[in-house]
Amino acid sequence: MTAGCDKTILVVEDDIDIRDAIAEVLSDGEYRTLCAANGAVALEELRTARPTPCVILLDMMMPVMDGREFRALQIRDDTLRNIPVIVLSAHAEASVAAAQMNADGYLAKPVDLNQLLDTVEQFCARDPRNKTG
Amino acid sequence: MMDSVRDYALFLLDPSGKILTWNTGAQRLKGYSASEIVGKNFSVFYTEPDRLAGRPATFLAAAAREGRAELEGWRVRKDGTLFWADAVISAIRDRSGRLQGYVKVTRDLTERRNAEEALRISEERLHLMIQSVEDYAIFLLDPSGHVASWNAGAQRLKGYKASEIIGEHFSCFYPPSEAVSGKAESELETARTTGRFEEEGWRVRKDGTRFWANVILSAVRDRDGRLVGFTKITRDITDRKRAAESLAERSRQQSATSGLGIYALQTRDLEAVMVRAKETVRETLGVTEVRILEPGAVAPEGWTSAVLHGPEGGASSFGLVSVFADHPLNDNETAFLQVVANVLSSAFARARVEDQLRRAEREALEERNRTEQAERALNERDEFISVAAHELRTPLTALQLKLQGLERGLSTAPAKASQRLEGAVRQTERLARLVDRLLDVSRISQGRLEMMHEQFDLAALVRQVAEDFREPALEARSPLDLHIADSAEGSWDRLRIEQVLVNVLSNAVKYGAGKPITVRLDVERDKVHIAVQDRGIGIAPEDASRIFNRFQRAASIRHYGGLGLGLYITRHIVDAHGGNISVRSAIGEGSTFLIDLPRFRAGAIAGPQKTPQARA
Repeated sequence: MTAGCDKTILVVEDDIDIRDAIAEVLSDGEYRTLCAANGAVALEELRTARPTPCVILLDMMMPVMDGREFRALQIRDDTLRNIPVIVLSAHAEASVAAAQMNADGYLAKPVDLNQLLDTVEQFCARDPRNKTG
Repeated sequence: MMDSVRDYALFLLDPSGKILTWNTGAQRLKGYSASEIVGKNFSVFYTEPDRLAGRPATFLAAAAREGRAELEGWRVRKDGTLFWADAVISAIRDRSGRLQGYVKVTRDLTERRNAEEALRISEERLHLMIQSVEDYAIFLLDPSGHVASWNAGAQRLKGYKASEIIGEHFSCFYPPSEAVSGKAESELETARTTGRFEEEGWRVRKDGTRFWANVILSAVRDRDGRLVGFTKITRDITDRKRAAESLAERSRQQSATSGLGIYALQTRDLEAVMVRAKETVRETLGVTEVRILEPGAVAPEGWTSAVLHGPEGGASSFGLVSVFADHPLNDNETAFLQVVANVLSSAFARARVEDQLRRAEREALEERNRTEQAERALNERDEFISVAAHELRTPLTALQLKLQGLERGLSTAPAKASQRLEGAVRQTERLARLVDRLLDVSRISQGRLEMMHEQFDLAALVRQVAEDFREPALEARSPLDLHIADSAEGSWDRLRIEQVLVNVLSNAVKYGAGKPITVRLDVERDKVHIAVQDRGIGIAPEDASRIFNRFQRAASIRHYGGLGLGLYITRHIVDAHGGNISVRSAIGEGSTFLIDLPRFRAGAIAGPQKTPQARA
């Protein structure tokens, strides 16, 4: 289980209330939650976190480094490229943005809890590290 | 020899008048051959009346008595036709003086006689003609200038009858001043020396009235060159002169109105056109007073006016152009005044149309501006709604997750429930605050943002708000550095000032790029200075002025959420306190927001009070 993702989720979101709420509900679902207030913090987190998360929930609008920049840098990084990204956006064009950023899925705010848990579950189950266990 | 003479009838008579001989000339002249006539009495050549009157015998007797007699008169040819004959009969006497007979020479003078007759008739006709000419005064002057003849034209023109004027000196036809100056004599002298004098000038009638005359004075000399007098022909050309003068006047007026018309076309300044029109009328008519009157105004008594007709002959006029002249205006002058009025009318009409055009243009422009403003406002509103929706979704997202989690966890982990509910309540509070900001904007735009003044310590409030921000600031890695005066008592709206501090501090944290944030508060006698300085992304100079406007932000919405209302509301709150907010900033170096607030309201009484917003 050392290589397994251990059901770790990275939440990149500048709004502390949303971040807390997501962390709260995910912890109910027995997920481990990593949090970052913007893309720059998230990259830092990813480079130090062990185990690496099995999915990233990524907000679009954030100070310092927004979702798009983060995604661009993540893809350039061989060690991080394969971590799936779910775009989290309040904008009507969330699906379009997700496609443009080559993300793996999207969740529109306000996020439905069941949808959130289903999506997270799906990506964690898909993670090869969990299959070996 | 006598026979061969062809041009004269030459023959002998015996003492009784019987024809003794006959020559070729006689045969040609009278038509008889010698055999027919020799032996007959010469009285056959006379007309019946002459014969009855005994003229042939008388003629012979005269020749016998005088030795020679000559007689002109009509004679009869053989064929009965008449010819005018000049006959000379000479008596022939022998040495003792006894009458032997006569020699008679007759010439045919018909042609000469006819010519003389024609001349006589012609002279008579000329005389009659001159007498009857009425359009010209034609008369003779004697060498000293006294009137010698008079015709009908002279009588009609000058008013004198022949009996009144013949013998008078012609200088009485001149105006008195010229008569005195000897003009008449000098003209006579010119005609005398050069043969002719012609001029145009004023002459006077018998009744004293004047007329403009064309005068030709010609010297008349006899065959020997002696001056016998002068003919004088005078014509009244007053009408012609008047017509020429009128033409010249019209031409002068036309050139004046043309000049005015061109000027009116070239200038758009109606006042200048009016000044020029008045000048034109003054100079052309030689009047001193010209006025342009408003529609409905009445010209003073004794003034002459022309109407400035309205466009397309409409009933309304643009007024009058009026002049005061010392003489009644003639037709030309009246027409000229009307033309000036017409030029003015067109200038007025054009100015009116141009004015309408300009107004229409201005209205169109204003309409376009209004439309653009409305469009801009709509766009801003649309953008704002989209931003507001986004902002509202954020607490809604948190709220929804918390409530759904609560619902799901009630059965499994009831212990967490109250904690979750607390969180949910916090989100509803956040939603309420957002809705409050929207209401503030609505109040500001309606001028209903009211301040509730109360006495409190602003330094304490700043410390409290800064304390509230300590955690979010640390989370953004921007430590707060406070330099706050011990106390700053004054009168403000506590909640609104708190709102201001929260706005400015949250901006500093949001755009502070994780660098330290400095908060200062300094107190003066009647003022408080607050400065919030970050060292973040900063604001470009071109954006610094608009960040206090509604829905404006300098930063990209991509990175930074928010309604874009914070600084707008902040500015209005500070304004309503009679204070001032400004920003000093540079890209990449951070921003410093400076807020000056008066400590007390001018003439204010301590205690809570309503203050209507100073500016909407």
